[in-house]
Amino acid sequence: MNEIAKQALENAVGKALGPGAVYWSTDANKNAFGWVKLCDPDALKLVAPHLAQAGARLMTVTAYRNDKFSRIEGREIAYHFDLDGVVITVTACVDSEPPRVPSITPWFQNADWNEREFTELYNIEVEGHPNPRRLFLDKELDGDILDRLVPLSTMMNGASTTTLWEKVFAGKQMPEWATKGAKN
Amino acid sequence: MAETYTLPVGPLHVALEEPMYFDIKVEGETVRGLDLTAGHVHRGMEALAMHRNYFQNVTLTERVCSLCSNSHPATYCMAVETLAGITVPERGQYLRVIADEIKRVASHLFNVGIMAHLVGFDSLFMHAMEVRELMQDAKEGVYGNRMNLGQCTIGGTRTDIDKETARFLRGQIEALKPQLHELYGVFEKDPLIRTRTRGIGVLPEAEARRYAVVGPVARASGVAYDVRRKAPYATYEDLTFEVQSDTAGDVHSRAMLRLREAVESVSIIEQCLKQMPEGPVKIEGMAAVPAGESVARSEAPRGELVYFLRSDGSDTPQRVKWRVPTYMNWEALQVMMAGCQVADIPLIVNSIDPCISCTER
Repeated sequence: MNEIAKQALENAVGKALGPGAVYWSTDANKNAFGWVKLCDPDALKLVAPHLAQAGARLMTVTAYRNDKFSRIEGREIAYHFDLDGVVITVTACVDSEPPRVPSITPWFQNADWNEREFTELYNIEVEGHPNPRRLFLDKELDGDILDRLVPLSTMMNGASTTTLWEKVFAGKQMPEWATKGAKN
Repeated sequence: MAETYTLPVGPLHVALEEPMYFDIKVEGETVRGLDLTAGHVHRGMEALAMHRNYFQNVTLTERVCSLCSNSHPATYCMAVETLAGITVPERGQYLRVIADEIKRVASHLFNVGIMAHLVGFDSLFMHAMEVRELMQDAKEGVYGNRMNLGQCTIGGTRTDIDKETARFLRGQIEALKPQLHELYGVFEKDPLIRTRTRGIGVLPEAEARRYAVVGPVARASGVAYDVRRKAPYATYEDLTFEVQSDTAGDVHSRAMLRLREAVESVSIIEQCLKQMPEGPVKIEGMAAVPAGESVARSEAPRGELVYFLRSDGSDTPQRVKWRVPTYMNWEALQVMMAGCQVADIPLIVNSIDPCISCTER
């Protein structure tokens, strides 16, 4: 484990959020992983410059729903940085509606593609993005493709079942078992 | 003032194996600007991964990309293992390294082979592919497949390498070594290769850091970052190898770097076959994956591969996100292509070893 890099990251986050903001864990090979939670997405603007100054490199950004099946509201965005072998993940909560988050492209040039990607997958608005175009998805598609995650089981028990049996039994009496899916 | 016009390249183009659309601003024969449009083969694999259980995802991640098809499941498994607190038996760790390095040699030889083809040196292209066949046969002989090895599983590896298979693998490596050496000499000295690739597609170190490029592209520009050394995983800490780097940052240096890395990989495989202890190759049964999150990284042939896994405690992941090496290297093409000639475009694109099915997932 690289203690110098770990300390540098801890200091950088500490300057923005105060001491004790980072929780550290290790994997089986003793590589260090830092975890930081931001309740306010605007705090990204405080943390990002310090991380950039410490020489951290943005590895990737992951947006996700707080709950996979959309049972509870809210999204989070995890920003993964690396400094000389030590990884730190800064997670920002995005509770606002419509969801919005500041762009970190002023400090990390390569955030460009990452931010465009989560915008189109989760419909999260990125404030101050220099190039807010679609990255992968066509303009014709809805912009929140992963935001409306439907569990496969829900889809399989869906209303389509009734439609199917109505066609099968068209003009005849529907058996009772075939109408059971109707309440979905 | 000379007139500029737009030259569309792709999405389907003879020099591209996969679809990517380049809008290239050209002034005469000189490239002045570049705009990328992606998304032609987007498969929504991250959404699929959320619907499959932890074991099914091993198979799914193996299919993200064919050339890095061992790095993907290996890194995914590492993320699951970290979260579930699973310790992979030492022999399993060595076997993973062997599979990774065989894939790296095959991937690098493929890339330099394509470079020879794009230069117009087709006999060298065919020679490189023929040398690569030694590794393809090794894969088929050891794992039963030429591309997707199916070697990784959560908690270890699927197949062991017994004495007879190890002898076969050693034989393939012995046959490969002199050929790799010869190939290196040709790529290094051949006047046609040198004229077409030296000083072309230069990425200076400062720009490499600004765009945060990874893998051979970064290392050829003086950023000596190799995950195998910086954040060792599996058994890389116990293995001797040199992280290759260069400062020229052009198409030629990236190809030469890949060939040198292939030589290092051969030595790593030899060390593994020698040092590998006896014992189990995987754990028995499967530990439950608790709620939580983990990050795992590895050095895929094209560069750093990152997996982020978030679990809600059920048998399917809440979110799996992976960032492939090529994803980071695309934007740096803006720098590499500025001022180049139209004829050099395919060479420069190939020099980042692009993988579009990886990028778009």
